[in-house]
Amino acid sequence: MLTIIACLIIGIILALFSSFNVSAEISSYVAIAILAGLDSVFGGFAANINNNFKMKIFITGFFGNAILAAALTYMGKLLDVDIYFAAIVVFGTRLFQNFAIIRRYLLNKYLPDNAQKK
Amino acid sequence: MKKIAPAQIAIGLVCLIMAFGITLQIKSVKYNKAVNNADYTRAADLQALLRQEREKSDELTKQVIQYKDDLQEFKEQYSKSSDLSELYKKQLDRAELLAGLTEVEGTGVVITLRDSRKKSDILLDPNLNIIHDSDILSVLNELSASGAEALSLNGERLVATSEVRCAGPTVSINNNRYAEPFEIKAIGDSANMENALLMRDGVYDTLTAYGLEVNIKKTSKVVINRFNGTINYKYALPIVKEAQ
Repeated sequence: MLTIIACLIIGIILALFSSFNVSAEISSYVAIAILAGLDSVFGGFAANINNNFKMKIFITGFFGNAILAAALTYMGKLLDVDIYFAAIVVFGTRLFQNFAIIRRYLLNKYLPDNAQKK
Repeated sequence: MKKIAPAQIAIGLVCLIMAFGITLQIKSVKYNKAVNNADYTRAADLQALLRQEREKSDELTKQVIQYKDDLQEFKEQYSKSSDLSELYKKQLDRAELLAGLTEVEGTGVVITLRDSRKKSDILLDPNLNIIHDSDILSVLNELSASGAEALSLNGERLVATSEVRCAGPTVSINNNRYAEPFEIKAIGDSANMENALLMRDGVYDTLTAYGLEVNIKKTSKVVINRFNGTINYKYALPIVKEAQ
């Protein structure tokens, strides 16, 4: 947990002090890639809780989803169809599902329901 | 604990990338918005520049007037020096009067033209309700025909090279732009000029039929500015006839 928080802080600091800026044109791709990445992160947490976390799946999912989401957005732009909605809906839904799993795990761990013997 | 260490490292690494990406994106979105706001600041800058240029232009105009006064002084001094030069000065004065290079006053009319104040009709072309260069020209033409000796439009003296031309929402006169309302001053027989404009089915009737506001005022004293621009004849050269 500590390593995760440390990594988050390092990432934020790195971004804050970098002079690099995402240009307006590729901003939408980066945004959708971030959504895909967030989905993977939550998926990773959920998998870790369920004890079926696999490194290969996690890493490939993280980069693969991000790249695919950005590519879909680009294709949507070419076709004049807002395909990135698909990415938003799918990743958004999965994000909430994974969050639900994490939430249940945390609640059971720190605030165990006495009526439920589990 | 050791068993899940690689997973923690991987998730940590991914979290680092995520944090970096999200922060960078937020920063960039903010920055891009600031760039768009820069358009507005640029407009303000341009406005300031325009104001500066206008001030400069005003100063230059003042300078031109100063030079003209100086020139006048030289002419006066010259005319005092001999009889022949006095004759020349009279001729020059007359030429300047004809060319519109002197301020003149006399009886005349002041005509104000305004766009229609009525609510525009959906069925009618809204262009009919606003003053166009052609409307102004028809008034000026009528005034000239009825013996106007000097004409000015919004303070711009009309001379031989003057144009009255549509320039977007404005009208260009002597290459300066003016917007509605237009004030035409004419020196001449005021009754004659007024009658010419008020002729049945004449200019006044035609313009007011479209709802344009035409206000004709006869006055005993109209002052018309001199022409303030410069005319350089590059192509029209006088034909010199050889003495026989």
